[in-house]
Amino acid sequence: MLKVVFYGTKKKKRKAKPPNPFLVKSIIILISRSVSALPLSLPDCCCCVSAFSLCFEISTKKMAARFLWASRVASHLRISIAQRGFASVVLKDLKYAESHEWVKIDGNKATFGITDHAQDHLGDVVYVELPDLGRSVSQGESFGAVESVKATSDINSPVSGKVVEVNEVLSESPGLVNTSPYEDGWIIKVELSDAEEAKKLMDSDKYSKFCEEEDAKH
Amino acid sequence: MDDVQEMRSPRTLHGGLEARHSSPSYTLGKRRTDHNLLIPEADLKGLGAELHYTQRGGDITFHGPHQAILYPIISLRSIGIGARNYVETLERSMLEFASVYGVKARAGHKGETGVWVGDRKIGAIGVRISSGITSHGLAFNIDPDLKYFEHIVPCGIADKEVTSLRRETDDMLLPSEEVIHEQLVSCLAKAFSYDDVVWKEDPSFILDNQEEYKD
Repeated sequence: MLKVVFYGTKKKKRKAKPPNPFLVKSIIILISRSVSALPLSLPDCCCCVSAFSLCFEISTKKMAARFLWASRVASHLRISIAQRGFASVVLKDLKYAESHEWVKIDGNKATFGITDHAQDHLGDVVYVELPDLGRSVSQGESFGAVESVKATSDINSPVSGKVVEVNEVLSESPGLVNTSPYEDGWIIKVELSDAEEAKKLMDSDKYSKFCEEEDAKH
Repeated sequence: MDDVQEMRSPRTLHGGLEARHSSPSYTLGKRRTDHNLLIPEADLKGLGAELHYTQRGGDITFHGPHQAILYPIISLRSIGIGARNYVETLERSMLEFASVYGVKARAGHKGETGVWVGDRKIGAIGVRISSGITSHGLAFNIDPDLKYFEHIVPCGIADKEVTSLRRETDDMLLPSEEVIHEQLVSCLAKAFSYDDVVWKEDPSFILDNQEEYKD
């Protein structure tokens, strides 16, 4: 067996081929107008070529759902979110893990899924491997996987606990993870075993920054 | 300083790659789509082939002699990319490699990840990403026995043929497989912007990823 090792210096930012800014801006405006009558105004810097992805918070779930639709259409038109400065959605009232899972805590129960940033970087999800009910999950460890573009990616548990519910709908409609990552695309619900663990997670501001820094690496 | 420590050094980004040689075998991905194996498993022995279950993405495929089977081991988090971008980079590497031989290949359409020449598949991808680190990878057909593909629905896509570099280059004299491997590895290194490639024939390695063929 031949083995090869790659060495490199810190990756230089590849010079992105600048897209036609007028075309990008007009497509984004067209998408946002067709999506809703809401005055969803996009910052001008969305139209600039940028290696950083902007994350901004959306306070109402309704706007989040419409914006996700827009980002889905954008990705269908091959406007990649990270490269074109299009934003990924980060919701204020959730906690986030570095492996791009979100968690909503409600007393001693928690619901998780993967974030908008994660679903965008994965591509179209065609399969979700769900854990069995009653199984224990541990913070930072894998409990399932998603498959997209011929790649299976592990999903890690943001907190520890026992699985009390799984989203069976994902077996028939795995694409919900892309179209509705924070709502219909939830993956599992657990009974927490250690409420203190949530303190290790990031809030929405920290997570937005984390996404920016990660996307800036290439 | 051993390889593992070096890999964790913040100064240099490392990736690794295994170039495998396979005796004839059919492999399934995590979804275990064994309905795409068109002959009974018991008949495989007669063909001199084995069946393996893996945790990678993708459908059923065949691996055998005269294929370039490359398994990059890269920390995607350290280069800030996700599955989609990674797979697209693997596709690009194979496209560039094919163009070296004048073969006009293209990346797959939606739902048909891989590398195609017209409607004939020349390169397949099936990857696993665990804690941000990749395993499995790609298989590019140099000159495998394409008859093996007749016993499966390759990658779950019916009515599409499988082809090879040999078929697509007609009478062109191809260099040795070592040279072909080196060229493909260089295309990969370039696509991932690595400056430097070190070749090792040493069987022990920084990350031992033998588990993917066990089930």
